[in-house]
Amino acid sequence: MASDLLTIAHSGTRAARLSLDLTAQNIANAGSEGYVRRSVRLAEVAAAGGFMRVNDLSMSGVRLDRLVRNADLFRQAEVRRTGADAARANAEVAGLENIESAVEQAKLFPAIVQFEASLQQLAGDPVDPSLRAAVIEDVRTMTRAFNMAATGLEAAGDGLRFEAADGVAQVNLLAGELARLNQRLARSADATSDQTALLDKRDLLLEQLSQHVDISATIAPDQTVQVRLGGAGGLPLVDGATSGTLAMSTGADGTIAFALDGTAVSPAAGSLAGKAQALSQLAEVSADLDDIATGLVATLNAAQAAGAALDGSAGQPMLSGTGAADIALAFEDGSLIATAPAGSGAGSRDPGNLDALRAALGTSDPAGAMDALIFGISSAVQGRSVTRDALQTIAGTARVALQAQSGVDLDQEAVNLLRFQQAFQASGQAMQVAVDIFDTLLGIR
Amino acid sequence: MTNIGTSTRAFFDRSNIDISGLRAQAEALQARLGRNERLSRSSEDPVAASRLRTLARAERHAKIDTVNSNRASTDLALADTALTSFSDAIIRTQVLASLASNGTLSPTQRADIGSELGEIHSRLVALANARDSSGHALFGGEAAGDAYVLDGLGNATYIGTLNAGELPLGDGQSVTRGVTGPEFLNFTVNGTATNLLAEVKALANALNGAVADPQAAARTALDALGVGLDAVTTSQTIVGSRLAWIDLAAERSTNLGELRADEQAEIGATDIGTTVAELQHVMLVLEASQASFAQLANVSLFNALR
Repeated sequence: MASDLLTIAHSGTRAARLSLDLTAQNIANAGSEGYVRRSVRLAEVAAAGGFMRVNDLSMSGVRLDRLVRNADLFRQAEVRRTGADAARANAEVAGLENIESAVEQAKLFPAIVQFEASLQQLAGDPVDPSLRAAVIEDVRTMTRAFNMAATGLEAAGDGLRFEAADGVAQVNLLAGELARLNQRLARSADATSDQTALLDKRDLLLEQLSQHVDISATIAPDQTVQVRLGGAGGLPLVDGATSGTLAMSTGADGTIAFALDGTAVSPAAGSLAGKAQALSQLAEVSADLDDIATGLVATLNAAQAAGAALDGSAGQPMLSGTGAADIALAFEDGSLIATAPAGSGAGSRDPGNLDALRAALGTSDPAGAMDALIFGISSAVQGRSVTRDALQTIAGTARVALQAQSGVDLDQEAVNLLRFQQAFQASGQAMQVAVDIFDTLLGIR
Repeated sequence: MTNIGTSTRAFFDRSNIDISGLRAQAEALQARLGRNERLSRSSEDPVAASRLRTLARAERHAKIDTVNSNRASTDLALADTALTSFSDAIIRTQVLASLASNGTLSPTQRADIGSELGEIHSRLVALANARDSSGHALFGGEAAGDAYVLDGLGNATYIGTLNAGELPLGDGQSVTRGVTGPEFLNFTVNGTATNLLAEVKALANALNGAVADPQAAARTALDALGVGLDAVTTSQTIVGSRLAWIDLAAERSTNLGELRADEQAEIGATDIGTTVAELQHVMLVLEASQASFAQLANVSLFNALR
């Protein structure tokens, strides 16, 4: 079989055109999320010599061998793994910061200190109506601060649970999408632009999925993916064309738990894991806050019961409520504060019971407990922030490493444009030569 | 990990992260300067924040302690003045008693002295019922209302409480906020317990003819008045030393307050010099990276190739 210069040149122009198309495609998608830079692999078209034509020249030009997606499975898996860790830390820190704000911005600590201060001032003149009124107002401020903190924590918890529910919905959506994608991948021809687009989509979906839960993905030879929750031994979330259903349940204390197709799972990374961790921390903080509130109720009411009000009557409970959310002032009349010991006459200036109350407050130390509570949360936030920053740096590095390899570099594409343009021109020149040769042969007279 | 090759998107992403990170740093420093507080939330430095809370609590309590000690020192100063009036009255009574003990006076003149002593007695009762800065009995301990009441015969009886009560001055220190009437009006003469008001009243009555020998009564009264004056003077000394103690406690509290303020400033306030320098540094880096980003972003092969 003879070589055909025109055909060879034609195949060359076609290959160059194709490469130019691909370069343009790369440039156009330089900003597309999940787009992996493509390159073409060209292969020579040459027939091996046959019977009687052992040393024949049989060159037929060039052909497109395959589209190469410059994606590295290892780097992609790293991006997913580190991304899931960073997402978990992010979600946890964000949740903890909300908790911290809820407790700190309610100004609970200053309110308790102010209450202590007004009791101290009342000791100066226990029968002064304005000092008694000041105590009542400061107790009211303190109970409202407790209510505000409880409401803030509740709101933070609601927000976290709402986001977690949305995350679960996202996981189910992405898993379903991946299962459908698996079906299409199984049918798509190898190394076509159709398949590469599907693969881009697959990797993007996997990455999005890993933001919510930690997954391990196994790629089959036909490019379909099997996704397991957690490590390689976890429950399958996506297997071929079927996808599991993740469900979330809320406990009585506001913490959340997950189940995949009815089996309990606990994600170790991903934003869902972070939210679950933040919610369990929130449950602890709420319980501590309730303890402080009920402790105050008990201390104040016990002291009231042991004393006599300004008119000599037995002291009544000053606070009502069973926790931070419903703690409230039980009476508004300052003269009902039992500063005098039980059995004192009306208008007694004896501060015996007030001293006992202050001593009891000194022992139970609600301000100290509050300080410890805030310190606990804030140091948790600080410690977790350090972890988060580290994980984010790691995730960022992994992402950059992947992008450096799979992303589009415009400079390189500019060079490619030139190169393929020149290749095209050269092939055209080859055609010109073929035509010239043909003309020469025809021109023989 | 170094990446030799890089994609355009990675370049923009990275520049974005770097520049916005620097900008956030600069803004945090600026906010620090603007608020003059180093910490905007506890988690920035939990230990320092907790310390600041403790200091703020101590500060708040110290303020109330100051209010209380001012109140105590006002009351004690009032008691001091009243005690001076008491001793003046006793000295006047002593003069009158020694006059009355003089044999040259006529019974009418003694009766006049007796009337004056009656007046002094009612003045003493009024003084014993003096009010403190918040309108309560100055010498009645913790009782409401008067410290002494007069019965039908004009005899004064103490109805206040046994002790004057203590007022906390902070840091576990406290001061007895006054003296009760019996503490300086009751005394013992020759083994017999008596009190100044009763003595004056008895002398007044005696001079007005209640006893057969007013001259002798005046002489015995002189002894009792001497002991009474001693009791009042002793009480005045005690009040004075309590006032000095309050001053001492106040001075200590002021010193502690200064120490607290120092520590608060050290932990919580922005060190302007360092922060400005740091801000300048961050700004410089930010400017440089913005400029270099602009330069780099402008460089494209597409511009160079024609």
